Amino acid sequence: MNATFAPHAQVGPATPAPAHSPAISMHGVTKRFGTTVALDDISLSIPPGSICGLVGPNGAGKTTLVRLLLGLERPAAGTIGVLGLDPLRDALALRERVGYVPDTLHADRWMTGAEVLRFCRGLRRHWNDTLATRLVDRLGIPLKTRVGSLSRGTLVKLGLVAAVAPEPELLLLDEPMAGLDPLAREEVVETVIAAAPDRPWTVLFSSHSLDDVQRLADSIAVLVAGRLVHHGATDDLLTAVRRVRMRVDDALPRPLPAGVDVYGSQRSGREWTLVIRDGSGGAIERLRGLPGVEVLGVDPLSLEEIFKHMARAPSGRNEERSQS
Amino acid sequence: MQIDPRRHLPIYLQIAEAIRGGVAAGTYRPGEALPSLRELAVTLRVNPNTVQRAYDELSREGIVEARRGLGLFVAERAPSDARPRAVEEVRAALERGIRIGLAAGLAPESIAADFRQVLATATRSIPSPVIPAAPPKLRRNPKEADA
Repeated sequence: MNATFAPHAQVGPATPAPAHSPAISMHGVTKRFGTTVALDDISLSIPPGSICGLVGPNGAGKTTLVRLLLGLERPAAGTIGVLGLDPLRDALALRERVGYVPDTLHADRWMTGAEVLRFCRGLRRHWNDTLATRLVDRLGIPLKTRVGSLSRGTLVKLGLVAAVAPEPELLLLDEPMAGLDPLAREEVVETVIAAAPDRPWTVLFSSHSLDDVQRLADSIAVLVAGRLVHHGATDDLLTAVRRVRMRVDDALPRPLPAGVDVYGSQRSGREWTLVIRDGSGGAIERLRGLPGVEVLGVDPLSLEEIFKHMARAPSGRNEERSQS
Repeated sequence: MQIDPRRHLPIYLQIAEAIRGGVAAGTYRPGEALPSLRELAVTLRVNPNTVQRAYDELSREGIVEARRGLGLFVAERAPSDARPRAVEEVRAALERGIRIGLAAGLAPESIAADFRQVLATATRSIPSPVIPAAPPKLRRNPKEADA
């Protein structure tokens, strides 16, 4: 599946138009671990200056995708470009320009927060002290405490400061909100917004929280069992997907009219509920026009509901499961 | 201003809706500056691009206007623009409700009675000639009752 995405608006008229080459580009990327296919023929393009939320059930391949972008894994097939560089060949050059917060943070337990930051600072060519201090204050990170006794939330915040202080062009966050309490989650979201430099930066973050994706992401990429089943503007998805409730007198005509693509359907007696991929292009009118069919209601879905339908839907179109 | 990611409405439309409502209610007044992109993005904890989209939408509607180098301001003639828009939204919401009722086989009079009752509850208003104190009971379509 090929998925490209253009952001709707640049951040303010004062920022220069970003280069047209994507910040992240993957073409036909496949990754196997032994005989297990972790990622299957992934093509994904993320323009500079946009924030992409990567979602998918556990084991869908989110962490593997992020690790491929960092050159920590080697793809079995396909090409990967990150900020115009090859992550395997240009790994060191890339480290200077990419910030990364892994899902598990490795830090020596006996080091204090201040020591961790000093250590990270020593590894980087560029480090914005003012930004680091501002974020540490804002997030209330205790710098004198040994990291071994910090909560997971505080540890993630510390990792975020270490990733952001070098002012990277690209920030990769692997499940930054996982296991955080609601307050800490909000602080992480706020940090990603507040730490953004004045020039556009690109962020890819994986998450289980569709709320966070909707707050942060310009585009949403959905991975299911190693396949990219959707990538597009978050708002467009909310506007397109519709739940249609209808009364069907006899049998629902098969196949459904052209242009009516469904994620799934449910039947209870004469009442059918279809979740259709795009209700804007006349699909609902086409259903209304079917003989013996009366459309009873058309409703929007939340991002979380849409995600669940995508995760459950068979990969083919117009396939349905019926529950009577 | 409150936004809710669980609502089915895209966040940029929620922000536009809140500011439009604020202008109509007088919490934002003509000629006043709106918060900067970054400021509002951090306050609401949303992507600055999303705030930009909301501001684009409001500019298109003529409710806010950009002043070069100064940022965004509530347009001088904004309130009169915001009200017809509110009327439009009320009509759209009513129409949606009425269609649901008709599809479920409710008689138009019964829908109208429900409307008056909901309106009375919402405004907690005292009985008036327009809003009867005791709205008629919810009646099903007589045709269906016979069946």
